[in-house]
Amino acid sequence: MALAKALTVFDIYDRAKSGPKMDEKDWDYKVIPQTAAALKKKYGIKMDKKQIIPTDKEQINNLFKAGLEMLVECGVYCIDTKRVIKYTEEEVLASIAAAPTRVIYGEGKDAVELSCRSYTDSHPPIIQGGPTGAPCSEELFLAIHQSYAQEPLVDTIVDGVLQTIKGHDPVPGSPWEIAAVKSEAILVRAAQSRAGRPGMGL
Amino acid sequence: MRQSDSHEVSQLNELKIDVGALVFTAHYVLAGDIIMCEQMPIYGGYAGGLEETTIVDVATTINAFVMTQATWHLDGPVHVRWGITTARETLAVAGHCAMAIEANTNLMLGNQYYTIAGPCTVMCLLETAAQAITDTASGREVLSGVAASKGVATNYTTGLEARMMAEAAYAVAGMETARVNEILDKLVAIYEKDYKNPPKGKPFQECYDVVKLVPTQEYLDVYDEAVKIMTGLGLTYWTK
Repeated sequence: MALAKALTVFDIYDRAKSGPKMDEKDWDYKVIPQTAAALKKKYGIKMDKKQIIPTDKEQINNLFKAGLEMLVECGVYCIDTKRVIKYTEEEVLASIAAAPTRVIYGEGKDAVELSCRSYTDSHPPIIQGGPTGAPCSEELFLAIHQSYAQEPLVDTIVDGVLQTIKGHDPVPGSPWEIAAVKSEAILVRAAQSRAGRPGMGL
Repeated sequence: MRQSDSHEVSQLNELKIDVGALVFTAHYVLAGDIIMCEQMPIYGGYAGGLEETTIVDVATTINAFVMTQATWHLDGPVHVRWGITTARETLAVAGHCAMAIEANTNLMLGNQYYTIAGPCTVMCLLETAAQAITDTASGREVLSGVAASKGVATNYTTGLEARMMAEAAYAVAGMETARVNEILDKLVAIYEKDYKNPPKGKPFQECYDVVKLVPTQEYLDVYDEAVKIMTGLGLTYWTK
C-alpha cells in the first residue's frame, strides 16, 4: 500500500500527544517482557552463547521478523506524555527503505565515507576512537582526545565528558551544562587539529 | 558542530523516548545533519534473557530509523550485573542483532565499548578485541570506543585502547564466521572468569607522557602481551 509520505519526527511528536495512554510500570514490567517472550516462542528463537555470531540463516531472519513485529505490536512509549507512539508495518518498512546507505563523515582530506558493509567484507568498519562518554578532567581532556586523534587507524572521534567546567559541576539543565558541552566540542576540534587532522569527523 | 559530524540522540530503555529527544531531533533534521541514534539495551533488564534482549535490540535498532530519521544507529547491549558491553552474553546480543539487521536491510550500524578492566591491562585490551571482532564479523559499520573501567572512572581512557579496537577489526575483516566464533569463544574465556576482580589499570597520566603524548613503555609492553595472546589464537595481523 502506497504511503502518502514517510514518517517524520514531527509526526512522531503528534502521535506522542495522541496515542493510547499507559502507565509506565505496565510498559516496563508487562508489555516489554511479555511481548518479547511471546515472540521468542512464536519464532522458536534459541541462542547459544558459545556461538556469538549466528550462522543459521533461518534463525537470523526470524530474529529480524521478531524485532520488526515487536516494534509494530508495542510501538514506543513516551515518558513525558505517558502515551504510546504506534506505527504500521508499512510505515516502518518505508522508513527502513528511506534510510541513507552512505554519507561523508568529516571534511576534506580527513573525511571518511560511512557506507554499508557486509559481515563478509574484507574492508574494516569506521574506527571511531574516544572515551565514549567517560569522564575526563579539565586538565587532561585535550591530551586524552589528542591521544585518540593521533592514532593512524582512528577515523573519527567520539568524545568524553568534562567532569567539571571552570571547576563547576555541569549539572544537567544548568548553564554550566551548556558551557561544558560547548567546551567539549571546542577541545575535541583542537585535539584533532593538533594531531594534524582538522577535518576529522566528531 | 558541522553538518558532517554525527549528532547524537538517545532512546531510553526499553523502547521508550522523551519529548526532549524529539525536539533536538527536529533541529538535526531541519539542519540537514548526520544523525546518530543511540541506545543500550540491558541484558537481564526489562526484556529478560538473551533471546528477549536481542529481539528488543532489533526493534530499537529499527526504531532509530523510524523515530529519529537516523543516518546510523549506535548500539551498546550492556550486562545488567557487570555494566559492560564485552561480556559473552552482550556480545551475543550484539552479534545476533547486527546479523539480523544486516541480512534484511541496508541500515548502517555501530556499537560502543565499555570494558570492565582499566587501561594498561591485558584484560582491557582483550575485552576490546573481542568486541571489535564481534562487530566487524557481524557486519557493523562503526566501532565506537573505548570507555574503559565501565566508563565511570575519571581519565581512565587512552588512545591505545582504540588502537587495539582498530587492529582487531582489521585482523578479522572478511574472516569466515565459524573461524571467528572459535576465536571468540577462546578469547572471551580468557577474561570472563575475572569479572569479580578486574584489574583497575591506570589513569591517562600514568599511561602516557602527557607532554610528548606517547604511551609509556609499560603500556606498550602490556599491548605487546595482548597482541601475543591474539596471535596465539590465530590472528595473523601483527605477524604479516
